[in-house]
Parts: sequence; C-alpha cells; structure tokens
Amino acid sequence: MKKVVIADDSIASARQLEKIIAGADDFEVVAQARNGLEAIKMYQVHHPDIVCMDMNMPGMDGITALRTLMALDKQVKVVMVTSLGGVGDKFTESIRLGAKAVVSKPFEAEDLLKTLRGL
Amino acid sequence: MAVKFFGQFLLEKGTVTSDLLLKAVDLQDSINLKFGEMALDLKLVTESDVKRIHHAQRSEDLLFGDMAVKLGILTGEQIGQILEQQKKTHLRIGEALVRVGALSAEELPLRLEEFRVDQAPYVTAQIVIPAGVSHPEVWEICADLSAKMFQRMVGMPCHVGECVLVDQLAQGAFVAGIDLMGGASARYFLAVSEQLRNRIARAVLTEEDVTGEPEEVLEDTVLEFINIVCGNVAAKAAQRGIELAILPPFSVQTGADGVKVPVGSYGLCFPLHLADGERAELTLFVKS
Repeated sequence: MKKVVIADDSIASARQLEKIIAGADDFEVVAQARNGLEAIKMYQVHHPDIVCMDMNMPGMDGITALRTLMALDKQVKVVMVTSLGGVGDKFTESIRLGAKAVVSKPFEAEDLLKTLRGL
Repeated sequence: MAVKFFGQFLLEKGTVTSDLLLKAVDLQDSINLKFGEMALDLKLVTESDVKRIHHAQRSEDLLFGDMAVKLGILTGEQIGQILEQQKKTHLRIGEALVRVGALSAEELPLRLEEFRVDQAPYVTAQIVIPAGVSHPEVWEICADLSAKMFQRMVGMPCHVGECVLVDQLAQGAFVAGIDLMGGASARYFLAVSEQLRNRIARAVLTEEDVTGEPEEVLEDTVLEFINIVCGNVAAKAAQRGIELAILPPFSVQTGADGVKVPVGSYGLCFPLHLADGERAELTLFVKS
C-alpha cells in the first residue's frame, strides 16, 4: 500500500482528496498538512510515497514546498493538485521543478487515481 | 476536466513527455520576445531607454509600452509596430512541439482538434460588460466560468443574467471573496443562500447529507468553489495573454451597512440564475 501526504489549506479540498485516495485499496493517507512548511515536516516524519500538493496556500506555497522537497530528496513524487494547474506558466514551472504530474481542479476521482497509480 | 493549455493536455494524454514539453517551452521562450526585448531587437529603444523605463515603472504602475510613450521614448505608431512584430514571430506551443520532434506536422491538427473538443465546455459565452470597464474580456470569463462551474461541479444548470453597475456588494447568507491580481485587478465575490451553500457543500464533499457538518467546513466548500472558478479564470485569461495571480479565498462579513465599492473601482453585479429557482450573486470590484 502506498503512503500519501495531502497538503492543502482548504478543509473541503483536503477532505475530498482524502475520501478519494483513502477510498482506494492501494493507497493510505498518512498525514495532512495545511501549508508548504507543514508538508515538508510531514514528509520528513512519514516518508510517504507520494505528496499531493496544492499550489496556492498561505504561508509557504506549494511551489516553494515542491522546490524544497526536491532539494531534500530528488526521488520524491509530488503531484500538484490545484485550481491553477491550467495556467501554462505554473504548470511548466511545476514540471520543471520536478513534479511528477499536475492535476487541474475540478477533476474526476478516477483521473486522479489513474495519475497516482501511474507514478 | 478543467481549463488547460495545449501542452498540459498532451502530457496528460501521454502524447508527449515532460522533457520534450519543457524543451518546446524553452524554444518558445527563446523565440517569443517580450515587449521590451522586441523593442530592443527592432532598435526602437536603447539599453539605457529600457533602464529608464524600468526605473519609472517602480514608481508608477504602467506597462512597458505605456511608460515608454509617457516618457516620449516611443510613439503610438512604434508600439503598433512592436506588437505586430510580436504577433508575426510568435511561436505557438503546437508548432514548438513539432520543431523539437515531439509531434509530427501531420499529427498536430488532429491533436488540436481533440483539444478543441476537450475544452469546448469552457468556450466563453457572450456576456456584455458595461462600457468603460477595463479588461472586459476577463470579467466576461469570470461570469461565464462561474456559471459553467455550477453546472460542472454542483450539477446545477446556471444562466448569467444581465450585468449591472452597483455601488455595494450583494447580500447573501454567505459571501466568499478572492483577489485577482496582475494583468487585470478585481476582487471577486460570490453571495449564496444557506440552501445553495449546502448544495455546493454536498457536491464538493461528495456527501449526500451535510447537515451534521460544522459551519466552518460548509463555508470552506464555497471558498474552494470560488478558488477553482478563479484558478480556471486565470488559465483562460492566460490563453488570451493576460497573466493573473489569485490569492487564497476568504469569507466576507457584510455587516448591516453592506460593503461599498471602493473609490476608483467599478462594481459589476451578475445575477446567476440556477435550477430549482435558486439564485447567486456574483459581484466584481474592478479596479479602473
């Protein structure tokens, strides 16, 4: 079973992600973070297989957290799950920094799981 | 499904790899000169003119070209010449992907057609913005995508009513706001009834019943809804060459006196007519 950390400042969005991911037999949500800094801490504590990261968060944003995580561990698998995924510059910046995928909101549950299983 | 750009669509489909997509984006960046770079390339300005313009931009929020005209460095005709040259030499991502070998020239039109079909639900409908308001196309997108996301996310067909100028924010049981900044600036507000807030909550949380949910969670679903709307607005605006940033959404306390449109802004209100007789109010405080 693959371990997942969810980083999203929105309670609603985090709940939605958890419901989809934890509802699948092959994933387990091990922690949730409300900003980029917490996401890094959760990564260091839980060593998850995947981090699902929102881009637009107060405090440390998702892009900065992605950059930091990649500096800590080049093998980390980060999926940006964001309403800004359709913005070309944000998308390419995420991929350039090492995100494995960018999922634009709104998304379908099956599409998200397919992306996570494809990593 | 959401508003995407062509390269993202191809990557998600597995048609191109991320390495080749980044190579194509780099090629675009090397060919598609920014306004100031193009002005330099055409020898219409000097390096010292550029420094002077950048320096002046620190104290006044004007675009490069507008500042150059203000300082007497460029004429209106030269601005047109630069824009024309940018348009003429602009390399689109599809063509860039062909050039880096990610797609064949024969494949490109087929993929563009697939992309057009994928994005058809997000084609902007005709919405009329009152004369004099800057960047009307962005506010059209705001109204249009708000309606489309009610259909897409909440499953409620939505029709945008006539836009009217207002001097204060519409009231609602709950009002959510978010700031749009960059190439165009506005504060976006969505006012919803308690019943509509709960409909949004059921959709976002994918729960049949949300009666036991804390108020904080119910309100957060509306914040998440407008966050998604405005993220998609930013993506759509970017397709039209307007860069927008969005800040995290917030809940608004309207109080007894309401929230007045700030001086120097236009208040645009769009009634959103939803299924089952429900109605929401989208209000934009657009900086003029």
